Amino acid sequence: MRGLQARGVSVRFGRLQALDDVSLSVEEGRAVMLVGPNGAGKSTFIKVLLGLVRPDFAVFEVNGKRVAIDNDWKARIGYLPERVAFSENLTGQQLLRFFASARGVARSRVQAVLDRVGLIHAARRAIRGYSRGMRQRLGLGVAILSQPDLLVLDEPTSGLDQEGLSVLWSVITEWREAGRMVLASTHDLALMERRMDEICVLRDGRVIAHGTAEDLRRIASLPHRIWLEVGQATDAKVELLCQAMRTWGKGRIERVGDRILAEVASDETLELVEIQSGFPGVVRGIRVEEPTLDVVYDKLMGAA
Amino acid sequence: MGRVGRALVWHELLERTRDRWVLVISVLFALLASGVGLYGRSAEAEVAKLTGPSLVTLASLLVPLVALVLSHDAIVGERERNTLGLLLSLPVGRFEVVAAKLLGRSLALCAAVALGLGAAMLVSDPAGVRTLLALMGPTLLLGLAFLSIGLLISTVTRRQVSAASIVVVVWFSLVFFYDLGVLGLLVITDGGLSQSAVSALVVGNPAGLYRVQMMHTFAGPEVLKDLGLSTGLPGRATTWLLWGSWLLVPAVISGALLSRSKVA
Repeated sequence: MRGLQARGVSVRFGRLQALDDVSLSVEEGRAVMLVGPNGAGKSTFIKVLLGLVRPDFAVFEVNGKRVAIDNDWKARIGYLPERVAFSENLTGQQLLRFFASARGVARSRVQAVLDRVGLIHAARRAIRGYSRGMRQRLGLGVAILSQPDLLVLDEPTSGLDQEGLSVLWSVITEWREAGRMVLASTHDLALMERRMDEICVLRDGRVIAHGTAEDLRRIASLPHRIWLEVGQATDAKVELLCQAMRTWGKGRIERVGDRILAEVASDETLELVEIQSGFPGVVRGIRVEEPTLDVVYDKLMGAA
Repeated sequence: MGRVGRALVWHELLERTRDRWVLVISVLFALLASGVGLYGRSAEAEVAKLTGPSLVTLASLLVPLVALVLSHDAIVGERERNTLGLLLSLPVGRFEVVAAKLLGRSLALCAAVALGLGAAMLVSDPAGVRTLLALMGPTLLLGLAFLSIGLLISTVTRRQVSAASIVVVVWFSLVFFYDLGVLGLLVITDGGLSQSAVSALVVGNPAGLYRVQMMHTFAGPEVLKDLGLSTGLPGRATTWLLWGSWLLVPAVISGALLSRSKVA
């Protein structure tokens, strides 16, 4: 596998087992989202990766080769901390220049990054005059300054307005398309779902599920909601269709006004569509709702 | 010091010189020092002799305060703003971060002291300028010692407000109450303390060491004799050792604590 692989990451703080044998991989060109309740171990895992927390055990491999969390490794990571509050006495440009000097990045890159995160107009303004979203975008600018192989984002959507979110999405897309890696911790599942390739669910310091959104929906085995619009059909015909579906015996069938709601497993959706096709003229339209990630998450948390 | 450390030194200097509290106290020091210098120039010869001791008193009050204000948030401030992790995620060792912060803030302190004493020099006569030049080195050492103490306080505290409270207590204790404490000890022991013990106690405090050293410079050993400190005045090597200890020991403990902690 090309990319980062973490194996057996374990961290204990006194009596608390913050991370317990956590294994996680981020392939090149992919974005992985870490989710879980507060205290699940998301931030601790990120801090281990950045060398901010010393693990009791951990093995890290990049492209199959074992790596130590040392300065060479840190030079390859860009980090956006959660709720970062930079010194208010400096301007955005001064702050980025410091990080550019520290990372050995050309000064010309500072202007490019300020432009990239939409802060070129506020470059010479003191950070104390920045809004919450602008500060978060500045943090994103610091993270991408050295064009790192791995972008680590801790709650990146926090405080971002629509313009900030657009910048974030474009950065994540750019990193994936360039074959680099993104690891983001978030509580904002619905917002991040479409931007990330994989989701890793942590609870009590353990990985309880890992895969694509579809994988997680399968693991959670939650039904799809299928709405059948019955339109002009008579009540008798609609009732016949409902009876046929109930006779089919799978899922839950319910009449809701001029619609029929069927809750069935994802692989039973086609069968249901076939049943309704035996009643021509009854159904005017079909809308399939897959379970949202929030619902999947709740199910996984409840089941864990 | 590596690339990150060097960048951090200049970053710290830039950031601290924009801190309004540092600016306010530095300008206040400059104004008061200029006032003393100006008075010394215009006063009678006998009164002008007091310029040096007056500046020593002024510096021993304000320079530790500037130093503590400069350093109290060095680590805890970064921790509270969530930028310590960002800083330590750079390719740099934790000890180097502490060293770079100390160095950067030391440069800012040097600028503050140079501003204060420099402003006084501008308005002083040649004798006054000589007095101020003699003050410069020890005053910087005094500031650096308190800077190092502030850095240690910043490393061991978890909240900036706690660090600020502790530095206020430290400032009052070492600058105002320490000598009273020594005096109280003499009273309690009914003069049972030896002169060398009293001297050791006085110079064991950086503010005390500074005052004794400067009194020796401006008023001569006779004044110290009158104060009962003639036998205990440290030699040059001991003086340097004491300044070196005050400067390095707290900073090294800060670096060691940050380096050894499991969580940054």
